[in-house]
Amino acid sequence: MLKDITLGQYFPGNSVLHRLDPRMKIFLIVIYIITIFSASTPISFALVLLSAFVLLLLSRIPPKLVLGSLKAVFFIMAFTAIINIFWTTGDRLLLEAGPIKIYWEGVEYAIFMIVRVVALIVGSSVLLTYTTSPIALTDGLERVLSPLKALHIPVHEFSMMMTIALRFIPTLIEETDKIISAQKARGTDFSSGSITQRARALIPVMVPLFVSAFHRADELAVAMECRCYRGGEGRTRMTRLHLRSTDFFALAAHLLFLGVIIALNILFS
Amino acid sequence: MNNKISLEHVTYRYSVGTPFEKTALDDVTLGFEQGIITGLMGHTGSGKSTIAQLLNGLLRPTEGRVLLDGEDIWAEPKKIGAVRFRVGLVFQYPEYQLFEESVERDIAYGPGNMGLSQEEITERVHNAARFAGISPDLFDKSPFELSGGQKRRVAIAGVMAMEPEILVLDEPAAGLDPAGRREILGGIRAYQKEKKNTIIIISHSMEDMAIYADKLMVLDHGHVSRYGTPHEVFSHAEELKQVGLSRPQITKFIMELQRAGIPVEGGIYSVDEAYREVLRAFEKKRMGG
Amino acid sequence: MNQNVTNPIIEAKDLCFSYKNEDGIPLPVIRNLTFSVERGSFVCILGHNGSGKSTLAKLLNLVLTPDSGSLSVGGIDVMRDDLSDDDIYNLRRRIGMVFQNPDNQLVATIVEEDIAFGPENLGIAPDEIRTRVDEALRAVNMTEFAHHSPSQLSGGQKQRIAIAGIIAMLPDCIIFDESTAMLDPIGRAEVMDTIESLNRERGITVLHITHYMDEAVRADRVIVMNHGEIFLDDTPGAVFAQVEALQSVGLDVPQVTALVHKLRREAGFEISEDILHSADAVKALKELYESI
Repeated sequence: MLKDITLGQYFPGNSVLHRLDPRMKIFLIVIYIITIFSASTPISFALVLLSAFVLLLLSRIPPKLVLGSLKAVFFIMAFTAIINIFWTTGDRLLLEAGPIKIYWEGVEYAIFMIVRVVALIVGSSVLLTYTTSPIALTDGLERVLSPLKALHIPVHEFSMMMTIALRFIPTLIEETDKIISAQKARGTDFSSGSITQRARALIPVMVPLFVSAFHRADELAVAMECRCYRGGEGRTRMTRLHLRSTDFFALAAHLLFLGVIIALNILFS
Repeated sequence: MNNKISLEHVTYRYSVGTPFEKTALDDVTLGFEQGIITGLMGHTGSGKSTIAQLLNGLLRPTEGRVLLDGEDIWAEPKKIGAVRFRVGLVFQYPEYQLFEESVERDIAYGPGNMGLSQEEITERVHNAARFAGISPDLFDKSPFELSGGQKRRVAIAGVMAMEPEILVLDEPAAGLDPAGRREILGGIRAYQKEKKNTIIIISHSMEDMAIYADKLMVLDHGHVSRYGTPHEVFSHAEELKQVGLSRPQITKFIMELQRAGIPVEGGIYSVDEAYREVLRAFEKKRMGG
Repeated sequence: MNQNVTNPIIEAKDLCFSYKNEDGIPLPVIRNLTFSVERGSFVCILGHNGSGKSTLAKLLNLVLTPDSGSLSVGGIDVMRDDLSDDDIYNLRRRIGMVFQNPDNQLVATIVEEDIAFGPENLGIAPDEIRTRVDEALRAVNMTEFAHHSPSQLSGGQKQRIAIAGIIAMLPDCIIFDESTAMLDPIGRAEVMDTIESLNRERGITVLHITHYMDEAVRADRVIVMNHGEIFLDDTPGAVFAQVEALQSVGLDVPQVTALVHKLRREAGFEISEDILHSADAVKALKELYESI
């Protein structure tokens, strides 16, 4: 059934990473990405790869699950790796077969590139998407970005839109399920015929779905107004986020790691 | 018993093989008689809606068989589309299925999918509209302009127009006012009288089913706890309470009178019956019985 | 027929409202409606679909603006020309509204976050919101569901969360706009019990719009609407005694009331006309039976 599709990738748990403040996690991910892209020596790449696996262990997310999400980008990785291997030229020739020359530099680049992508995906997913519920993430983003309100960027509105979307996705999925079943019962054939016939079979699903979504939006807007909603101004929040010592410890660890990588770069350049 | 359609040891599990796997029905055997209206009743979560979708092949049993005229509807899975034309299903709040630009075209959508001739479709649309209480001057209107009750009737007419041998309706009167309920349920009754087909109405309104159904089937956790005429079923009013169904107010009232020492008979579910029964009891005492 | 109101929370006089159809012709939905609601009372508004009862609810909460007449809600004259956004905002805090479809009024993905939505909009301090949310959860008996997602709840439970969201704003009055219409019997009973306790235990004025007659039995006063006008306005007992009048406007009376009425009228039984509860009817019939 459609409604079994899990929302986002959130994997409920109670690990150190789960308990970090969402605002801090957003900062950490930024620092981590900078770190990954600062790495330029073999040792730093080894450390980056190691750090990704340390994060994975800390999150207590089944490694299979996270590595599974790497599958999606496997072809892109393989493709860019091959291009790097064959097209990069350098000083140290590794292999020569007719017109094809492969250099050590190419292989090195390919490996570095893969390490970066793996660390990026593993790091960001265990730091953020797997360990932060969508609602906490939205909340964290709104708070982190709130200084932008001064620039008239509708930060609150975006976060409210996200919240409502998260709230209504399960409802609309269930509704789609129901409409599909109702039209099947009226003889709609979704699974055979030409492409145009199949596309036409979607009209009886799309029209009611849109009508209903607009109707819901309308009712929700009235209900929100009746609950005194008038935008983000003057609004308070029930939950106060507290930065705890673990948050600062995590920040220190990330900064230290960035420092180490930069030091290694300078040392070996 | 002459069962038009039946479930034979049917088990149904949702989302098999995922973490969301859930057993909705467990080894259920039941049958619906030919040519009558059966009221299928049970509390929320008793498996009523799952049964409805199993009957017309929208869901396939995980185990067991669904028999239509004695034949397994899944004998040839490719022909399940034909079963859906023989067993019509009206979902709860079916007004959400309307999509055409006019009422007439929306009612004609189902019959159109059956590959009928244009005349046949027109005739069926008019017939179904009559039973559902939709006057022909609404035919050219957009279904989205109609009132809630009218939309409901158009949606029901859309399935009636397919003239299925069996018509299953899930809470056809939910959320309507008393007049709206009477119109819809009365229309279904009239339709059944003329077409002589088999109708299954899923409802938790005991009051409605007592009036409009020939037989009642009471479900409790996916099993038939009681089957019979309304009179027979309401004679076991205590049992209905145990399976989480509310009994008609008048049925409860008659039982309270019994307890208060007035010798009235149980199994009563309408005001007129209760009236006669109270008069009979009073009369008997006056005559010195 | 009109009830004695000494301390009104709502006062409407000659209220009119019409919708325009596609040709621009106004279709009157509310016609010269005059009534007031006593603070702290439990009033039920009955009527068939299209009787104007839901439009009335929208007028009372300023979702719609009356065409003419006067309307004062919570002491604020809402027809004033200089009615500010702040006035409307204050009014909505004091007059809460619960709608029909439980799905279309919950905003957040977690129950307690949703209940906090109203107080957050009011700019209340976080600790105070926390207290109010916990209290509101208790009031609707849903404390154990505080961390659930609304999509995991039944219709009746969702509706109770919607009610909690309003309670947390500490309103004087709550209008229920057919809030039980989409629920199964169990859900309806849950919601009705909640509504009744809000009125009886917390003194919140309740305006309950419905077409279920058995729900109206629990009110202090019943207003029956028909074609945008007040058709009957009295205590539940007196209203339900008028069996034929109610049937003429497409409403049913509770079965026991109908039986008592029939026994009185057709068989000459000497029982009081405004019996509402079956226990009273049993008692009356028992006395009659024993007196034979």
